[in-house]
Amino acid sequence: MASVNPAIDIDNTNEEPGTRAPLVLGGLDYAGVTETVCAPWEAENPPKIWWLILAAALSLLLVLGGCVNHLLMKGVGVWGNNNPAYWGWPIVNFVFWVGIGHAGTLISAILFLFRQNWRTSINRAAEAMTIFAVVCAGLFPGIHIGRVWVFYWLFPIPTEHLAMWPNFRSPLLWDVFAVSTYATVSILFWYMGMVPDIATFRDRCKSKIGKIAYGILSLGWTGSARNWHRYEIAYTILAALATPLVLSVHTIVSFDFAVSQLPGWHTTIFPPYFVAGAIFSGFAAVVTLLVPARALYGLQNLITLRHLENMNKIIMATGMMVGTAYGIEFFIAWYSGVPNEQFAFINRAFGNFWWAYWIMVTCNVVIPQLFWFKWCRTTPWFMVIVCIFVNIGMWFERFVITITSLCRDFIPSSWAYFHPTGIDIMMLIGSFGLFTTLFLLFCRFLPVIAMAEVKSIMPHGDDHH
Amino acid sequence: MHETRPAKITSDVVTLNDGHLKAMPLLLGIGVIGLLASFILSMFSSAGGSAFERFSFIYLVNFCFVLSISLGCMFFVIISHLTRAGWNVTVRRLAELFAMCAFPLGILFLVILLPVLMGYDFVYPWNQSGWSAHSIEQAEQIAALDAAAKPPIEQLKGAYLNPMFFSIRAIAYFLIWGAMGAFFLKTSLKQDDSGDVILTKRMQALSAPLLILFAVTIVFSSFDFEMSLSPLWFSTMFPVYFFAGAFMSGLITITLTAMWLQKNGRVTDEITTEHYHDLGKLTFGFVVFWGYIAFSQFLLIWYANIPEETFWYDYRINTTGWGIWSLILVVGHLFIPFLAIMGRTARRNRTFLAGAGIFLLVMHWVDHYWLIMPQMDAYGHVFTFNPLVDIPCAVGMIAIYIAIFCFVAKNRPLVPLKDPRLGEALNHAVH
Amino acid sequence: MADKNDKDSKLVGLLAQFDDPDSLISACNEARLAGYKAMDAYSPFPVHGIDPAIGIQRSLLPFLVFCVGFGACFAGLGMQYYTNAADWSPIFPGYAFKISGKPLFSFPANIPVTFEIIVLSSAFATFLGMWGLNKLPMFSNPLHRISRFKRATNDKFFLMIETKDENFNRSETESQLNQWGAVAIEECRQDLTDNQLPSWVRLVGLLGVFLLMLPPVMIFRNMGMTSRSPRLHVVPDMDWQHKEKTQVLSPVMENGEYLFTDERAMRKPVDGSIARGQLEVDSEMYRGVKKDYKAAANSAKTNARLVSASIEDKEDAPVEPDQADQAEDVSMWMTQFPEGVTVDQAFVERGQQRFNIYCSACHGYDGNGNGLVNQRAMALGANGQAQWTAAKSMHDATVKDDSKNPLGRIFDTITNGRNTMGPYGAQIPAEDRWAIVAYVKALQETGIQPATASTETDGADEEKQTDADGGSDKEEKTS
Repeated sequence: MASVNPAIDIDNTNEEPGTRAPLVLGGLDYAGVTETVCAPWEAENPPKIWWLILAAALSLLLVLGGCVNHLLMKGVGVWGNNNPAYWGWPIVNFVFWVGIGHAGTLISAILFLFRQNWRTSINRAAEAMTIFAVVCAGLFPGIHIGRVWVFYWLFPIPTEHLAMWPNFRSPLLWDVFAVSTYATVSILFWYMGMVPDIATFRDRCKSKIGKIAYGILSLGWTGSARNWHRYEIAYTILAALATPLVLSVHTIVSFDFAVSQLPGWHTTIFPPYFVAGAIFSGFAAVVTLLVPARALYGLQNLITLRHLENMNKIIMATGMMVGTAYGIEFFIAWYSGVPNEQFAFINRAFGNFWWAYWIMVTCNVVIPQLFWFKWCRTTPWFMVIVCIFVNIGMWFERFVITITSLCRDFIPSSWAYFHPTGIDIMMLIGSFGLFTTLFLLFCRFLPVIAMAEVKSIMPHGDDHH
Repeated sequence: MHETRPAKITSDVVTLNDGHLKAMPLLLGIGVIGLLASFILSMFSSAGGSAFERFSFIYLVNFCFVLSISLGCMFFVIISHLTRAGWNVTVRRLAELFAMCAFPLGILFLVILLPVLMGYDFVYPWNQSGWSAHSIEQAEQIAALDAAAKPPIEQLKGAYLNPMFFSIRAIAYFLIWGAMGAFFLKTSLKQDDSGDVILTKRMQALSAPLLILFAVTIVFSSFDFEMSLSPLWFSTMFPVYFFAGAFMSGLITITLTAMWLQKNGRVTDEITTEHYHDLGKLTFGFVVFWGYIAFSQFLLIWYANIPEETFWYDYRINTTGWGIWSLILVVGHLFIPFLAIMGRTARRNRTFLAGAGIFLLVMHWVDHYWLIMPQMDAYGHVFTFNPLVDIPCAVGMIAIYIAIFCFVAKNRPLVPLKDPRLGEALNHAVH
Repeated sequence: MADKNDKDSKLVGLLAQFDDPDSLISACNEARLAGYKAMDAYSPFPVHGIDPAIGIQRSLLPFLVFCVGFGACFAGLGMQYYTNAADWSPIFPGYAFKISGKPLFSFPANIPVTFEIIVLSSAFATFLGMWGLNKLPMFSNPLHRISRFKRATNDKFFLMIETKDENFNRSETESQLNQWGAVAIEECRQDLTDNQLPSWVRLVGLLGVFLLMLPPVMIFRNMGMTSRSPRLHVVPDMDWQHKEKTQVLSPVMENGEYLFTDERAMRKPVDGSIARGQLEVDSEMYRGVKKDYKAAANSAKTNARLVSASIEDKEDAPVEPDQADQAEDVSMWMTQFPEGVTVDQAFVERGQQRFNIYCSACHGYDGNGNGLVNQRAMALGANGQAQWTAAKSMHDATVKDDSKNPLGRIFDTITNGRNTMGPYGAQIPAEDRWAIVAYVKALQETGIQPATASTETDGADEEKQTDADGGSDKEEKTS
């Protein structure tokens, strides 16, 4: 039986060129990794704090359920959406959640293709987070369509009495395909990556029900070399497919805005700028979740400071890409010489919603600059604060884009102001309940860290790694 | 299990080994003759504008083509340090050398810059008033107006697009690129002697702020050099488009140069199939990225259908000649290479990869031609391609570029000799 | 132990345990060199370098995925072509509908969905193809019965040489494995007595399939039948509402008569009723009519106008506009601003802002009657493509003349419209209308004259227009 070393933060962030800093600390061997990851799952009862958070999350989920029910009974008028702000908070929330849902697949796919070994400790949780974020994201446009019970009209299903098909020239329909494809492929990717680890659970499980459940979920996995061979190829192919997919999702979300003619929406840089923003917010969400999770489950030896520091660097880099895009937009608005464009951007910064704009700039561009300081990006509690600000900023970015442009379109007589209703606010808060509930259940019942992948990057024998 | 190679250079020859002394006069000769021939032949070219204009345009195409290669290589160097990459150490020196070439290219830019300063509008129409007009007659009317009576758009953009400010910016770009290229090359060369790890750390530490500087320069230089050729047109995506092509061509140039050097018995041991495979993968990735950016930019403008933007594409798609050129670009720059280098076998075959690389470089040239040349006769919609003018200029410019490379490379080592991550690169294997 | 089980079980292979990946690889290499082919290694993670050691050929999976993706590309494009452009099909025809100025089959707009379909199909091909080629899921594997093998998903490494290999020899193979460094060796046996599914599992399975088939069978049965009962409404979808729709006949009572004798479902408000917040008794503020003006003492037109402002009029008393205008008594209109408004700079600026929003489209920013709508309509009118009465210039002598066009009358014009101009009372609150009046007066005071060429042309057109109308509204024109 391998001993599990006490979990404390060891500074492995300094990497002398020519050597590679270890990614698994505490002298863990293969069995040690298994023990560390399985320990919280094998514990009789989850920690008290888990129950407390679950209770809070479930009550928020209840709030969400109540709001959705109220909405379905009364209609979309319960939201603050008005004329001309036809897209209010629901769409802001949708883009916000979809954006968060980008980090997981990015870590699993793009970092995998770039052979960034440090991804192995965090990819599982990040992928799970992705899927739960996409669930939250899918909720909002789902209920935004008004008559939810005919949602299947969104898909090309032949119907006799309707004699109609979806309009494939509409970016909103592209969104349906992009988000549903993304959710499906993310689940496939997540599940496929989890099968070897579920097999570990199967082989360690004590309860009868657990044995059957994990036995079925692990599909009879044995770890055969022939299976691993095809498995690795499949993993690479899925990563290669997921990489353009993850770019395409937020690109298509940006098309929803950018194919229009509305000043502030129609600008060609939207696709890469939205993707950068999505990665930015997604990584911030991963850090926000993993820092408490590793403390709670004693995973400091696997999710090390180096992992966190790397993520913070990516947050800083993508934050600056987003900042650059803000700058380019402003410059081109001036350079274009189109008065509507110029007004749209001046209005963003100094119009009715100036406060939202400056919250966005502060949180997205100014605050991440703290990560230039090593202390800031290697101190867990501090980085969580920064990352929460980043997520606030990214929510406001979507708010600024959606609302300011809609409320100030071409005809001054149709200008208006947007006020959210209580339902709007409760739904946003409630969606966090849904997200947290799902994540807590994941932490309890599924392998939080990809054990097999972590083991594959550990040094062994006389290997040169 | 493969054996671990010691972190030592084993090739017999790791420099150009005086090859550049022979090559440089020849290359410069070809270059000067090519450019002269192109200039003379452009006098007989009937497609719109004067000989100066015709030549300046094709010169700018080829200039931007080689400049983008250098900028792509510069990005390769910066991103390598930023990510502490180990696998690519053995090809990083080539990138450093090509990046350094960006500074001497500044001298070649004088051919464009001096006429701008003298007030000619050979290439940049904003240098003479009347550019916002839609016909020559209208342009002449505007040109006759007082400064205060000019169309507001010309007055507005004049604050940015004027010869003085343009020149200051251009000089600043080349100075910044020169300083950045020199920093990385000098530091890396210093490490060849000392093997000091602190030098790597210094380059890593500076790579993040330098990347920001690089981003700013590439954004505004792409606006200035290429987008302002059509001063009425604007697209926020343009710098990303420029960058995508630049990085792709940089990767290909590194690959091709390495292959060519190895074929001539230099750095034979250090660069392996594994490195080519990975360079090929990155190239593939950026072929797709280029397609993604190009498509997104086109789709947004096509879909919104706003006349202020669509005229730029309308010209390139709906006029004789340019329509086919656009089709060649889409098929040649995206679909063919996508299918060609998608497979693992294709990327591990040197001959095939070299062929694909040359093809992609040609397509990259086609891309810059497509961006720049249609602006030559904005009223007449003339298809300008004339191999007699265009090819000598391209050959000449590329010859000069290689001569610059030889001049920069001298007898300097073509791989970092004592990089602390050399061992990692030598033992690099694609699992 | 082996003897006892010989009848009930079959030897599948010999399983050797190793403690680290490197010894597993070297053992695999030895086994391959010894001529074994039917063997497999088991490890908790993919061990690099094991493929050549066991002699695994590169999988065909990438090629399979490529083929699926390539097919999906055309399937995706085909689907979009069919659904949006092909309306020739006899069953489930495409819905060819022109929208947002895009062609029915718009290639650029179809790329995103095509891309998503390629990725989705390829991902499923990868996922299912991988499991299929791996012959998984397979839940009955003799390896799972070996307790030692549970460590294969944790920290131990195994090599199994199967009995079906032609070089397999129970004792010789075992000694070879020992020689290659196996830590432990165990027999892997397949249980022959227990290879049937328990009968209750089959029963439950069959029952499940049967129950699942019921709904589609019922739906299909009902689809081919006619029925007298009304359609099943799972969600009412506002199909039934307790109201009558506009412009329909009155509901019919049980005795067959209409509920409302005029046979209309739409009702008028009770005479004299006024909607909440719209009492507007202050005639100066809301109608621009002097408080002490006696309606009854004056013309029918004024009477009608006043009555109609507060009470729905009788159908039988239409007022002919021409007569009314001829009979107009200018003295009824306010010549001052009402008491409720204070005319100061802010008020006029408010008026300017409102004027620019609501009025300038036709009347122009300078009030010359030359707004963009007017220009365009005049241009169309000149080609005979539209009928258009030119917008009034604020600087027109009659418009400017306080005696003919006092403040109250301008207010009334904004509120109720005049001639071809529509009413703006519903859009603009009364205070703002007065602000516009103030701004209009200010505009007139600036003295900008309709001197530009275009305005003169407009004037000429206006004349022509009037002539065409037969000159009957000569009076109206000056109003």
